[in-house]
Amino acid sequence: MRNWLIGLLLVPFVFVLSCDSGNQVRVAVAGPFTGNAAAFGEMIKRGAELKAKEINEAGGIKEINENGEIRARQLTLVFGDDVGTEKEAKAVATRFATDRRILAVVGHFNSSCSLAGKSIYKENGIVELSPGSTNVDVCQGSDWTFRNLYRDDFQGAFIARYIKNILTEYKTVSVLFDNDDYGRGLKDAFTAEARRIELEVVSEKAYDRDTTDYTAQLTSINADNPDIIFVSGLYGQAALIVKQARNLGITAQFFGADGIDSPEFLKNAGAAANGTLLTTPFTFGAGGEEAAKVAEAFEAEYGVPPDTWAALTYDAMGMIAEAIEKTYNSKATLAENRKAIRDHLAGLDTPEEGYTGITGLTYFDTNGDTVNKPAYVKIVKDGNYTTAEKQMLDIASQN
Amino acid sequence: MDVFLQQLINGLVLGGIYALIAVGYTMVYGIIQLINFAHGEVFMLGAYFAFTLVAFFHLPFWVAVPISMLLCAGFGLLMDFVAYRPIRNAPRLSALITAIGVSIALQNIARIIWGAKPQPFPEETLPSFLQQVNPLEEPNIYFSFLGINFTEVAIKFPGNVSLAYLDLSIILLAVILMVGLNRIVSLTKIGKAMRACAQNRTASNLMGIKTNQVIAITFAIGSALGAIAGVMVGVREYIEPTMGYYKGVAAFAAAVLGGIGNITGAMVGGLLMGIAEVFGAGYIDPIIEFIATNVGLGEYYEAGTISNSYGSGYRVAISYIVMIIVILIRPTGLFGKSTGHRA
Amino acid sequence: MSKNIIPNSIFEYYKSKSSFILNQLTLTRFILFLIILFLPTILFSLDAIIKFFSDRNIYIDLPSGDYILYICVQVCVYILLAIGLNIVCGFTGLLDLGYVAFYLVGGYTAGLLMTNHGFNYFLVLPLAILNGGLWGLIRGAPTLRLTGDYFAIVTFGFAELLFRAVKNEIWLIQDINGFVKDIPSVNIPYTKIVLYQNWHHYYHILILIGIVIFITYRLKNSRVGRAWIAIREDEQAAACMGINVSRYKSLAFAISAAIGGLGGAFLAPFWGIISAKAFEFWESILILCMVILGGKGSIRGAIIGAVFLGSLSEILREILLRVPQFSSARILIFGVILVLLMRFRPDGLIYKKSV
Repeated sequence: MRNWLIGLLLVPFVFVLSCDSGNQVRVAVAGPFTGNAAAFGEMIKRGAELKAKEINEAGGIKEINENGEIRARQLTLVFGDDVGTEKEAKAVATRFATDRRILAVVGHFNSSCSLAGKSIYKENGIVELSPGSTNVDVCQGSDWTFRNLYRDDFQGAFIARYIKNILTEYKTVSVLFDNDDYGRGLKDAFTAEARRIELEVVSEKAYDRDTTDYTAQLTSINADNPDIIFVSGLYGQAALIVKQARNLGITAQFFGADGIDSPEFLKNAGAAANGTLLTTPFTFGAGGEEAAKVAEAFEAEYGVPPDTWAALTYDAMGMIAEAIEKTYNSKATLAENRKAIRDHLAGLDTPEEGYTGITGLTYFDTNGDTVNKPAYVKIVKDGNYTTAEKQMLDIASQN
Repeated sequence: MDVFLQQLINGLVLGGIYALIAVGYTMVYGIIQLINFAHGEVFMLGAYFAFTLVAFFHLPFWVAVPISMLLCAGFGLLMDFVAYRPIRNAPRLSALITAIGVSIALQNIARIIWGAKPQPFPEETLPSFLQQVNPLEEPNIYFSFLGINFTEVAIKFPGNVSLAYLDLSIILLAVILMVGLNRIVSLTKIGKAMRACAQNRTASNLMGIKTNQVIAITFAIGSALGAIAGVMVGVREYIEPTMGYYKGVAAFAAAVLGGIGNITGAMVGGLLMGIAEVFGAGYIDPIIEFIATNVGLGEYYEAGTISNSYGSGYRVAISYIVMIIVILIRPTGLFGKSTGHRA
Repeated sequence: MSKNIIPNSIFEYYKSKSSFILNQLTLTRFILFLIILFLPTILFSLDAIIKFFSDRNIYIDLPSGDYILYICVQVCVYILLAIGLNIVCGFTGLLDLGYVAFYLVGGYTAGLLMTNHGFNYFLVLPLAILNGGLWGLIRGAPTLRLTGDYFAIVTFGFAELLFRAVKNEIWLIQDINGFVKDIPSVNIPYTKIVLYQNWHHYYHILILIGIVIFITYRLKNSRVGRAWIAIREDEQAAACMGINVSRYKSLAFAISAAIGGLGGAFLAPFWGIISAKAFEFWESILILCMVILGGKGSIRGAIIGAVFLGSLSEILREILLRVPQFSSARILIFGVILVLLMRFRPDGLIYKKSV
């Protein structure tokens, strides 16, 4: 009995052994592939897979050695599920950072996970390029953490200015925010900017993801009679909010942020979603020819249209692949290669040097935050996202 | 006043849902003193069963709901047979731990089968009065009565107070089913057997009551009611694997508040919990703001040092607070009689 | 069973004194002890071997030593918590569904004091333990007369309340969602030693576990432990025998909660960041699962349960990632384990009835 038990305890430590000649370049993708944010994780996974597939079909990542010979390596992805919690994110980060072959990490999605992994990535010297974390602190204090989308404070301020400058027929705003890091961070940025530019915020209400009945908050918001209700939260709850608001007979305009930019929002909200405005780091409508091609390929591959996160991950993967191709040296050690990737990314610090992907031009400031990536405004029309008529792409009015 | 009325309606609707779920808890607890943690998951499965029948087998809504209730009743029987019956005479804690295990297992089985993402109930399959018409257009008014307009989807009271037919049907369902159930328990033979089992299982066994059968029927009835609540919530909100967890806890708190083991108590407790939650979310913050500004702490409130989201932040906690207070002060709840074998 | 490696005759004297360590020393255990003690060395030498090959372009897909070590530390935290929970669940026989509350209290005591007020870890550690114990008493006082399900419900509600509180009391936490970021690493005063690597954490928590195991063993076999077990077996009979039930129960709550606080205090600098999400109801269930798997009331059982479930969870991540549609099976398995155990081995897998 006892021996049997000890044997059982050892089972976990038996891992798959595999040997190959090193004809691969490995990049890790970390995200919430299960758990509450699984819908985002799925898109991240697909975006990364699509880019990797395209690179490999084009011959993989090429390295020219000193004799002038070209050696192509396949790009292999390693996925790590952080479930959207710090505990798991720490484990995944340690796993990737101390791996002997992984050159860079694309991820994490949740801000809390990026923050939890930050110190580990920094300590072990590996690039963490997040396609989804918008919390202000994510890139602070680490040379190894980058992101290719804007921060909460930029987005919140952008929405306030957009309402003030573009949607001039709307005077008063109410905020309904998710009582979580994303929702609160965005709301704080929004109200701070609204106060500065004298946009009237008549009420702020929180909601919790655990409850799915928001009629109480909506009723008290409606008592203040706002023209716009800004929903600072994620797609699932936002869908319920617009649905329940319409059921209560609330006719205010809804405004959302990138958190509700998901096909799931349209599916869950149904007809109630129509007319909702939202900001997003990127729209396929405004993204040009290249983006349209990728969207087509994505839909052919997975049967659903790509969303913003898929596009951002696609670009993040592209940036990493480009960095590897430009810097990879098979003679160098792992640490040197990782450092070279970081230096390459950190070198993308002016518009001229920046990486042009389907989400537009990306370049970093000294923190590793993306500078001046425009925010687009989308509107829901007949159950589909379309680019809103009036954009505010002028960088000057954004800053 | 309008806001107050609207909040009251909101509370009653939520309360109706809680009441329907609470019955399942209270009946099972009354008879075998088991907190059936997995009841929230049965509620979730009810919604998923109906969803699957409608979306994949293309059954009409009115057929799918009774089938889903039957399936859930069967599922309740199965759960009792597989998990709870073998340990009926084991210590009570074993049963509680089993219930938690069943709950975790069911939640994740649902996740594997239907995915983690929330699913909306397919709208086109719903009967027309439960559907959503484009809300931004002025709805057609069927007829008016004393200033109350009956439109396509909702009853509009004067002063912008509205009650959707869907919400109305939840409240009505809760009341009708509760009255019916009370009748069954107090007037029929099986009801008598249930009450006998609740009082003393061994003695009823000796009197020739097939206790196992009675317990199984209790599970079936509770599960069927949970299923119908699940369908209503699925239509009103959406269906996801975790939907049973929080609503289950709140409903359990409602059952404790009403006096666990008492069906009328579950009904009243459910409605009270719903109202308490909605009023908490709607009125705590204004009250805090009022107090803060009047004792000279207004600047802290403005600056956010005093949170302006206590109402909605602690809304979830109201059920826990009610639960703890009732257990500590009056474990028999509002309607419960002291049964002598309390915990 | 392997034989004692030390001849019985020599140590007969010590054995008769029932010396705890020597009495239990067998070859298997001795080897296990060595492995535990030198685990970082073993793992790092394994790393070096693999590196030797990977430098020659032969790759072995084994996770790195540092990662395994991280998992071990995480498992060790669970061992600590399982031992703590075992005091209430196993010794006094009350079902605690909210143990994570004390873990939370310890974590935030340490996290907030170290980050916002610059306290040293070694000052914070006793404070976190005391604070945990204090909250244990706060929760324990009104629930003394409750037993069974009602006690379980109150503990559950209490933990959820604390969880909501750290999410909402922004003035206290100074950040949203219970975030405490950038918690400094442990530094030993008067030296320049900073404990920041995984093997530092490993030895750090081994020492803590050692102390906790020693204390609980002594308690279990003392008058206090006997009183607890008497209360578990029959509270009324225990009271009749002159055991002050409320006093001993309170003591159990306080000590159990204090160990939870200790676990939290270790966690804060180990993770460097904590948020409310880390203290959800699910964690309580996980710890409970460990205690029950090993057998309520047995310290060794709690340890084995924690090691098994902690590493199982990690392995399943690796395996299930390859079968994406079954990734939820990871949690499903815990539910199934609970049901099957209650059905077939309600006393745990390796429980020996001692009383």
